[in-house]
Amino acid sequence: MKFAVIALRNLARNRRRTLLSLLIVAAGTIGTLLTAGFIRFSFEGLREAIIHGGIGQLEVVPRSDVAGGESSAERPGIPGMQDWQELRNGIEAMPHVLAAGAIVQFTGMLSKGERSAAVIAVANEPGRERRMRFEVKLRGGTGLPDAPPSDGEDAILLGTVLARSLGAEAGDLLTLLGITTDGTLNALDLRVAGLITTGLQDLDSRIVKMHLASAQRLLGTQNITSLVIGLDDTARTPEVQAELDRRLRGREPSLAIVDWKTRAPFYGQVESLYLGIFWFLGSVIFVLVCLSTSNTLMMSVMERVREIGTLLAIGTSRAQVAAIILLEALWLGLLGALAGDLLGIALVAAINGLGIQMPPPPGATGGIELRLATAPGDFAATVALMLVILGIAAAVPVGMSVRLRIADALRHV
Amino acid sequence: MSEPHAPRRPLDPESAPPIFEASGLRKRYRLGAFTIEALRGVDLVVTRGEFVVVAGPSGCGKTTLFNLLGALDGPDSGSVLFEGSDLGRQTSGERTLFLRRKVGFVFQSFNLIPVLTAYENVEYPLRIDGLGRAERRRRTEEALASVGLAGRMHQRPDQLSGGERQRVALARGLVHDPRVILADEPTANLDSTTGAEIVDLLARTNTERGTTFLIATHDPAVIERSPRRIRLLDGRVIADEGAGARRPGGVR
Repeated sequence: MKFAVIALRNLARNRRRTLLSLLIVAAGTIGTLLTAGFIRFSFEGLREAIIHGGIGQLEVVPRSDVAGGESSAERPGIPGMQDWQELRNGIEAMPHVLAAGAIVQFTGMLSKGERSAAVIAVANEPGRERRMRFEVKLRGGTGLPDAPPSDGEDAILLGTVLARSLGAEAGDLLTLLGITTDGTLNALDLRVAGLITTGLQDLDSRIVKMHLASAQRLLGTQNITSLVIGLDDTARTPEVQAELDRRLRGREPSLAIVDWKTRAPFYGQVESLYLGIFWFLGSVIFVLVCLSTSNTLMMSVMERVREIGTLLAIGTSRAQVAAIILLEALWLGLLGALAGDLLGIALVAAINGLGIQMPPPPGATGGIELRLATAPGDFAATVALMLVILGIAAAVPVGMSVRLRIADALRHV
Repeated sequence: MSEPHAPRRPLDPESAPPIFEASGLRKRYRLGAFTIEALRGVDLVVTRGEFVVVAGPSGCGKTTLFNLLGALDGPDSGSVLFEGSDLGRQTSGERTLFLRRKVGFVFQSFNLIPVLTAYENVEYPLRIDGLGRAERRRRTEEALASVGLAGRMHQRPDQLSGGERQRVALARGLVHDPRVILADEPTANLDSTTGAEIVDLLARTNTERGTTFLIATHDPAVIERSPRRIRLLDGRVIADEGAGARRPGGVR
């Protein structure tokens, strides 16, 4: 009779109590699984939203523009990247690269009649952005055409909040003022093609988008601010970055390669916040499961003091007695976690299938659908976690059982 | 029921090697505000192969004495030598091996492990001692057969009668072929007929295997059957009678 079987049979002695303990462990497992699933989905969703919102996985930018590593949204200025066409061709020939889109970013003043607003202008190549699977969230009108507009046919997309403040709508003609590379003021008339949202209210009140050719015409330059690179898989970012870094080494003027995480410090903050929440919830689950199962194991030991005394009297070592109690705890952890995993799989499927809508996060313009992203490793991890918790929960009962004096234990009623 | 067996009488108790030599055993317990002197200086010698009854009323110190002889507890003063080796000087590991190999216990309440079958209960001491499967099986079946339970070996304790449980307990005590069996009130929870059967079984085992038996009891039927009777009262040996007896007071 192996100790593991004895331990399992001991659990079957008080089935109601064992069932309750299993439910507690299962509930802890489900709680951990769902929390981890929600946080993973949030991370993945936010990451892909940031990347496909326009910043791509990587950006190549003049090193002089990235002191401190801030994102290009925070460093609008005169486009300083020259001779980029050949570089772009080389990048687009690399494995896993979908496209490398040229970006010009600058600040300007947009006017409609009497109304004016300071704007952040992002000029891009719509065809390449589509290849990079970037999303343009249109809220009216149409997108920008892929082909460079001819002079006089320039078009613009306005952030929804900005459009409201200017009283502009699709089809209106607006004037954008900008400073050329030689420092003079220039103006360009653009027709509103459509309204867009970035998902962030603050940005929607300042953002405009136009074709690269329009911006270069306004600023009087062929330079660009940066090349934004879209990959087929975000997980490939480090390897493509390393290869690109190797290729650009020694190039003058020096270029920097910035990854999406560096360009979106917001993501890191959200990640820290969510991980903090996850650890807090995890700690609560840990304490609840540990205390309640420890109590159950303690009761089980208290009820078997004489039996444990008998085991010791017939030559069972104290380590073997400890092993029996510990194995009971581990059985509870294993069976409870497996039950929790099975229920968790069903719950995750149900929640994902229901399409529950969550309210918009602070500063966002739209709600998000509640989805849970579980990975196969989560199930093994929750089992391992519960085994650890139950192992800790067994510490006190095990300590009590191995400290029993045999004669006292045999007298125990 | 078979003819009662007479317990073994060592031919020359004076020359047989001692298995237990206890001297000056004292043991006190605290019970709330009171201190109970369970043993007040017990001296005792038991030689190999003896069948000895320790008799006395409840509370006279029988169980305490057995706990000290079986290394389940330590004395406040005095010593117990087992085959010349001082039990008080054993390490924890040595004590475990002593309990596992040298001594077998039979308890008043049988103390079987309820989640194990009769077979598994009897096999248990062999398993924790690391014996191989085939050897365990042979010895377990043999032990169960020797107590007449060959046909009940797969029953759990709650499916057995009191007499059957005590037979299983005896088989468990004997399966590892210990030098000595300490049986504490083995018939107390049994009716007189079953009790007599159990005593007969103990006596037969003593005769056939030469195992030393110390039996704590206040059952007159058991006391009468024993060739040597040590009487305890208030923690002292007041008489040592019969074959192999030492001078009154139990002192050799």
